[in-house]
Amino acid sequence: MNIWFRQHRFAFGAALATVRKSPGSFLFNVLVVAVALALPFAGVTLLDNVRPLSEQLSVDPEISLFMKPGVAREDARALAPQLQQLLAGNHAKISFIPREQALDDLKDKSGGLDDVISTLGDNPLPDSYVMKLDGFAATSSAEAARVDLLADHMRQLPGVDSVQVDSAWVKRLAALLGVLRLALLLLAVTLGVVVIAVVFNTVRLQVLTQREEIAVSKLLGATDNFIHRPFYYTGALLGLGAGAVALGGVALALRPLNTAVGEFARLYASDFQLMALPPLAIVGLLAISAALGLVGAMLSVQRHLARLK
Amino acid sequence: MIEFQSVSKKYSADALALSDVSLNIARGELVYLAGPSGAGKSTLMKMVAAIERPTSGRVTVNGQDIGKLKKAGVPFLRRNLGLIFQHQRLLNDRNLLANVMLPLIVTGAPKAQAAERARAALDKVGMLDRARALPMELSGGEQQRVAIARAIVNRPQIILADEPTANLDRAAADRVIDALHAFHAAGVTCVISSHDEQILDSGARVIRLEHGMLVGGGA
Repeated sequence: MNIWFRQHRFAFGAALATVRKSPGSFLFNVLVVAVALALPFAGVTLLDNVRPLSEQLSVDPEISLFMKPGVAREDARALAPQLQQLLAGNHAKISFIPREQALDDLKDKSGGLDDVISTLGDNPLPDSYVMKLDGFAATSSAEAARVDLLADHMRQLPGVDSVQVDSAWVKRLAALLGVLRLALLLLAVTLGVVVIAVVFNTVRLQVLTQREEIAVSKLLGATDNFIHRPFYYTGALLGLGAGAVALGGVALALRPLNTAVGEFARLYASDFQLMALPPLAIVGLLAISAALGLVGAMLSVQRHLARLK
Repeated sequence: MIEFQSVSKKYSADALALSDVSLNIARGELVYLAGPSGAGKSTLMKMVAAIERPTSGRVTVNGQDIGKLKKAGVPFLRRNLGLIFQHQRLLNDRNLLANVMLPLIVTGAPKAQAAERARAALDKVGMLDRARALPMELSGGEQQRVAIARAIVNRPQIILADEPTANLDRAAADRVIDALHAFHAAGVTCVISSHDEQILDSGARVIRLEHGMLVGGGA
């Protein structure tokens, strides 16, 4: 066993001994840091659950054009060249959806309501066109206005009942998620500073408590690294413990939340549930927690040990 | 082994601790530093251990210039020194064995080996049977013997003892001095500061300091 490994093992043991000496104080500090970490961890969990939903939704503008009931299939199909002309130069993909296909799609996506749909008798759905416009900037208001103008022109075409531009809400959702991500980042940075400050102060008190031991060790030939390491391990342990407590708290909170979320989702024929973070994300967050503790300890040790001669 | 060349040390403009001190201490020598409080004995010892640096002049220990020694090199210099303090400075929250193991632990020695050597060191000062006791359970003289064990456990080339018999009764002081003499007899260079004339009268060289100046025994 080489000296480097032995000294790290000693430092880790010294950190554990410090924890064992005053477990109550250490646990209290873990709880304080855990409270600070729980909020961003909850936000990460929420975003991780919502992201797959938002990614399934296209943010490219999509125009749906519905024919009036009773318009003949030939007349509906005859509209295609005019639509191509309107959309010329827009890299548009135009799809004609016959009313029969629309009904089949509805049955597929209804989530078990196909029996109810079958009771409707005649197909109530009209023939329609779906036009996907590539190359539009999703958040550009000028582009959005151009799409709205195209939709107005389409409404003037013969046999057209209604035209919907159905990308607007997706854009809003995407923008909202962007804002949420930014807010979460700012929150995480702020609370990260809080974590560092708490660890900084905890380690400062430890340095003061162990002042004599540090001074004697230095006189006996201890290097700065030998003296610093136990404090680094203490900070990292504090961060790691707090991260684990925070993640545990978030996981526990998912149960009651899912009861409410499940009821809400069922109203939309969805079985959406908030899931705990995947193992890799958990490991990542624990590593970040330990790293924050380590940074707090390093700052504190470098500041306070420099004052001890 | 230890050489001071025209060494002065000023803590501030008004506080001159050492003034133009030149002296030599040879390998394996036993030397006493004598002088009243404030004479500069502790400052001289601190310079040998690189706790203080000279304001002017040159201090060399084992060929290393203390004034030019980098911060990272200080611990390695101190590993060749055995430091004994007036107030022992034992760690009260750990037993005697752990206290004596500390100089070995800081060097990265295996724990079992450190424990074995610490027991041997405690045995040499007659304290092995109290290895599991805490420092506060011992008398001042016993604590000083444990401090000596801690100083010699690393097999240092030089022992620096700063007023090791202060606050001890005569019998305890004699035991401490006898222990230090035993290590000197084994070839260790010993520098012992004291103002106890009875101890100084042992036939060894006495370096006398007064008001930071060398007044005798520097050759």
